[in-house]
Amino acid sequence: MKLFQKTKREVNKHQKALNELIRVVGEERVLSAIEDRICYSYDATKQKVIPDIVIRPGDTNDVSNTLKIANKYEVPIYARGAGSGLTGGAVPLMGGIVFDLKNMNRIIEIRPDDFVATVEPGVVTKDLQDEVAKFNLFYPPDPSSAAFSTLGGNVAECAGGITGLKYGVTRDYILTLEIVLPDGSVINTGGKPGYDLTRLFIGSEGTLGVFTKITVKLIPRPEKIQTLAAYFSDKDDAIDAADLIIDNNILPRTLEFLDLMTINAVRGYTGTDIGKDVKALLLIDIDGTDESIGHEMPIIENTCEESNAFKTKVAETAKERDAIWATRRSISPALYNIAPHKINEDICVPRSKIKEMLKRVDRIKEGHTIYIANFGHIGDGNIHVNIMYGDDPSQKELAEIIVNKVMREVVELGGSISGEHGIGNMKSQFMELEIPPHEYEIMKKFKSYFDPKGIMNPGKMFIR
Amino acid sequence: MEQRVRNNMIDRDVFERLCGAIGRENVSDSIEERGCYSFDATNVKLIPDLVITPHSTEQVSDILSIANKHNIPICTRGAGAVLSGGVVSIEGGIALDLKNMNRIVELNARDLTITVEPGVVTKDLQDEVVKSRLFYPSESGSDSLSTIGERVAVCTGGMTGMKYGVTRDYVLALEIVIPDGSVINAGRKTLKSVAGYDLTRFFVGSEGTLGVFTKITLKLLPMPEKIGTIMSCFKDIESALNATDSILVKSHLNPRALEFADKTCIDAVRETDNGKIPEEAEALLLIDVDGNEKNVTNDINRIDALCRENSALKTLITHTDEERNRLWDIRKSIYPSLTKVASVKFDEDLSVPRSKVRDVLKKVYELSNTYSLEMSAFGKIGEGHVHLNVTGSSVGDADVSAYDLVSQILNDVESNGGTSISGLASHETEIMKDLKKMFDPKGIMSPGKIFV
Amino acid sequence: MTTDWKEEVSKCSKCGKCQTVCPVFLETGDESSVSRGKISLAEALRDKQIVYTEKLRDHVYSCKKCMRCRTVCPSDVDYEVIISALLRGVADEMGVPLLPKIIFRYILPRRILFDLMLRIGSKIQRFIPGRKRGQMRHLPLLFMGKRWMPTLAEKTALSKFRTTQKLKNPKMRVGLFTGCLINYIYVDIAEAVVDVLNRMNIEVVIPQGQLCCGTPSSSMGDHKSSKQLAEVNREVLESHNLDAIVSACATCTKSIKLDYLRTLGPSWQKMSDKIYDISEFIEKYCGDDYKTKPLGKKVTYHDPCHLMWVRGITDEPRDILKKSSDFVDMDMAGSCCGGGGIFTIIHYDLTLKMLERKVKSIERSGADTVATNCPGCIMQIADGFAGKDSSVKTTHSIQILQKALANGDVSKEK
Repeated sequence: MKLFQKTKREVNKHQKALNELIRVVGEERVLSAIEDRICYSYDATKQKVIPDIVIRPGDTNDVSNTLKIANKYEVPIYARGAGSGLTGGAVPLMGGIVFDLKNMNRIIEIRPDDFVATVEPGVVTKDLQDEVAKFNLFYPPDPSSAAFSTLGGNVAECAGGITGLKYGVTRDYILTLEIVLPDGSVINTGGKPGYDLTRLFIGSEGTLGVFTKITVKLIPRPEKIQTLAAYFSDKDDAIDAADLIIDNNILPRTLEFLDLMTINAVRGYTGTDIGKDVKALLLIDIDGTDESIGHEMPIIENTCEESNAFKTKVAETAKERDAIWATRRSISPALYNIAPHKINEDICVPRSKIKEMLKRVDRIKEGHTIYIANFGHIGDGNIHVNIMYGDDPSQKELAEIIVNKVMREVVELGGSISGEHGIGNMKSQFMELEIPPHEYEIMKKFKSYFDPKGIMNPGKMFIR
Repeated sequence: MEQRVRNNMIDRDVFERLCGAIGRENVSDSIEERGCYSFDATNVKLIPDLVITPHSTEQVSDILSIANKHNIPICTRGAGAVLSGGVVSIEGGIALDLKNMNRIVELNARDLTITVEPGVVTKDLQDEVVKSRLFYPSESGSDSLSTIGERVAVCTGGMTGMKYGVTRDYVLALEIVIPDGSVINAGRKTLKSVAGYDLTRFFVGSEGTLGVFTKITLKLLPMPEKIGTIMSCFKDIESALNATDSILVKSHLNPRALEFADKTCIDAVRETDNGKIPEEAEALLLIDVDGNEKNVTNDINRIDALCRENSALKTLITHTDEERNRLWDIRKSIYPSLTKVASVKFDEDLSVPRSKVRDVLKKVYELSNTYSLEMSAFGKIGEGHVHLNVTGSSVGDADVSAYDLVSQILNDVESNGGTSISGLASHETEIMKDLKKMFDPKGIMSPGKIFV
Repeated sequence: MTTDWKEEVSKCSKCGKCQTVCPVFLETGDESSVSRGKISLAEALRDKQIVYTEKLRDHVYSCKKCMRCRTVCPSDVDYEVIISALLRGVADEMGVPLLPKIIFRYILPRRILFDLMLRIGSKIQRFIPGRKRGQMRHLPLLFMGKRWMPTLAEKTALSKFRTTQKLKNPKMRVGLFTGCLINYIYVDIAEAVVDVLNRMNIEVVIPQGQLCCGTPSSSMGDHKSSKQLAEVNREVLESHNLDAIVSACATCTKSIKLDYLRTLGPSWQKMSDKIYDISEFIEKYCGDDYKTKPLGKKVTYHDPCHLMWVRGITDEPRDILKKSSDFVDMDMAGSCCGGGGIFTIIHYDLTLKMLERKVKSIERSGADTVATNCPGCIMQIADGFAGKDSSVKTTHSIQILQKALANGDVSKEK
């Protein structure tokens, strides 16, 4: 089901384009059977629109040639990595071409002496992390989808992850990009004087061009990681503990928070022993040398205890560490224990506003039969607000109203409507809450400069 | 008016408007003052017609609005201490000095953010946040002179770049007045945000060609418990480079700063070193490590051992802040000392892959012999940054030779996969020019900057 | 098609996590290879956006049915139900190809015909030249492709063990479900099971009426045939009044223990509870009863998909091997070897790629023998090594135990 009806002329134009594409790129790089195209109609948002064709480029030339033709005939084109995005980024809303970059997945080179690596966009993030680990190097951005999402997708969304507080996000690790622009021309950004085109393209969500080579910065791999779980009977205590840890000049590798609703869901799910009196949980990883961990862990334990944690558990073995982290990983599926449907928001507020934000969320929820679980990267203020709702159509409506209210509160508190998932088409309606009109217009000017025909990922980011 | 306005770029009418908008006391046409704005650290002498010192965003907005209407070029200046022909790029027009916009607007320690006006001197910001046990990385030789606005405009690296990255990594939000006078707000004061295009980071490093920053929100980090410093002197450059490899690549130690200086640089600062640097030293490394007490001690000792393994003549570990500052002062005095020794002809910032520094330096000294010019190199070789100076004491032929020499080195650098400040490819340049036009159709902001 | 697949399909949250473990996706990078893609095809069928076509059939057949996806699915989608429904749909709408249909419906249910067909084959094989390391270069027969296939046994396991070896006071009486590969090719595995269990004072019956477990039929969606076979097997197994039923084939175990619950209904639960993989059984009932003298061999273990991913059994075979040999683990022991039935026929090229990865893992382990608990895997991996002219031996873990027991059993040495 297409969102936009095509006119007859458009259909003919598309046909010409498709024929030329097949000729230029080669049959073997094209999927035209509907049984194939269906598999490229969605991402993790469950939206489905079947594209007219799927093209699987092998190299920069293929990408460039495809874009030239798409541009010539004004056929919409949607780049795709693993299709794991949470905001609709890869969904071909207007049909057209899905550009599957999954098989452009070579790790081109790793230069350990220079602390850099160059990859093609289809490389799975975890594969890169594993490869560079062999050289004792570390690529820190670690979105929860790292085991299957691709670098290209990460760069397009400026993915974050659990290591964001200490190590930063994707944009902090990209040195250079080879980008094919909508007209098919190839540019290389980064490592040069002039404007920071690299950063402009990072997080552009496939609306400005396609990445064909990505060079990343690597850092030395921390020797060790140690994990601690702290249990609280009051969520404010947990938030205070997180603050105090940072006040103690420690930036943990990860600092994750789970609220009561989240804990209840997880408790039933994994059968992990989280006692009934636990109303909030902090999961903390610190990394470094034996000495620095030996120095920091006791401080963290004390800090949690000072903030009324009634129990802290430091993982003694790899198994215990896995068990603690299994709790965090099981959140997403466990939430379905509460209700069958979910809206997952990843708002980010200034750290000092976290408590207030959670209060406001509670207030919004009050009186309604709907469930909201809050968890996430409390260290940098990036909270995943998950609204769980039932099958009844009125529930869906209610959920959407709540999201709307939450977004307004977030912006009012100086926060951002998305800390790491991006806008796609799921949040484009909220963009103008955060982005004032003038800036919004400037962004659209950038878009029309690079993509005058509007063929790159149309329907995403901007409503109009 | 005390003096006639020399140039007819700014006529009487416009002058009146400007004074009307922001107050006569903030507009200067005195030749002496204008003369002060005529150069910055690269010794280029161009004189503006007016010097304007606004106090607020509205004033900046008014100024730009008027200038835009009347096609008057504007160059913005912080303290002019940043290199690479930073401020005045053409003759005439307005020099906009933001020194009066120097408030720390708000420090949100809990949020790990600080918002400042552009004229805040870097050191003042660092001193302020230290009180909350926070720090803003991006230490550099010019901290007591350079302003935040400047740093963001140029996207400086700073000596802590090795571990802490560059200015851009810390800019969260900007209030910018763009050439037509309108005020835009890019970014959010949160540690993470991905809504829409990254206008914020796009503006960082735009060197005043797209607008004027009137508020800057920076990310801060918790202050490390301790900083340890060690200076190692080597009998030759090879040993110093080997030591660097051992420290960074083989041992994966993560120093906060790693600076190198060659013999010429060492000789230039000899009178200030209090005998710390041995006569035979032909290269030195100055290294900072930070973290908690124990870690720092361990790392410094490791580095000490690695330097000795690589034939260090002498290593000096500091134990107090004063000792540390004294060593860093020596390093910071290299550049000024070099200009004292001879009128510096050329300097060039090279950026090469870390592993190629050795080859580039080799080429530098080879060419130095060929052209019998004095070459000196210092800088953050840990990151592949080499600051090259060609010094001589006479003009004329030497000029040409120096240019040739540097060109050859630049070519070498290019073929080694690096870049220097001067290079830029054509398609990307066209795009940047177009984007510049988007913000500044009349081309009034720092004309001649970035695009030659 | 049954209706519960629709429920399962709607549980899929489209997260994409199945991409991390799907062995076929690992090779192809095609979304149609992975569970999420197949689920979207099932949705499209449900919503009448597509109908059954050859292309759809290709996609359905490209599933390895290893069930690794189930172990990581955050929404706990019962993918088995979905893929079975898709296969049945293919069979119902497009029919089962003629030759397989004949075999499934007319030969598998008739032991005599099955025996006959294969006995003729075993006679013919003598005339085929080029034996290599116990394997023979197979003719590009029917649907087998260019592979090194093991020779057919002279005498089937069923006929060899027509009479039960009676024990005086057995601890238990268990039935051995051989499965086709062990019955016709790897008879020595059946011998090893009987030998080992007898030494542990367990009497072993090989019920003569047993038929093929039905996996080949269900893997092509021929539910009529698989039901037919299940019903006969039920009768046979129930009639013998056994304490437990063991199998040395991971796929057969999965089939009769789990799949039969769907085919035969909840009344099978009681029997299902008594069905074990041979290693599982030994560890559970005989754990401390035996004494081995470990063989000097360096042995590594490959986790069959149907044992590891479907049933979560990974420790028991390893524990046995640790007692029986110089055991070394290989990296990625749980990665699919690419073997097993229909998939290997239709997607031979993918099979080879998966096999290559497995062979490399084994080589990296430094072992001179690789043991596993599935004759399908044995056949596949042996094929891989024969092709490389390697001396690495492929065997069943029960055979290693058998040798180690014989080693350690001083009383039996005559």
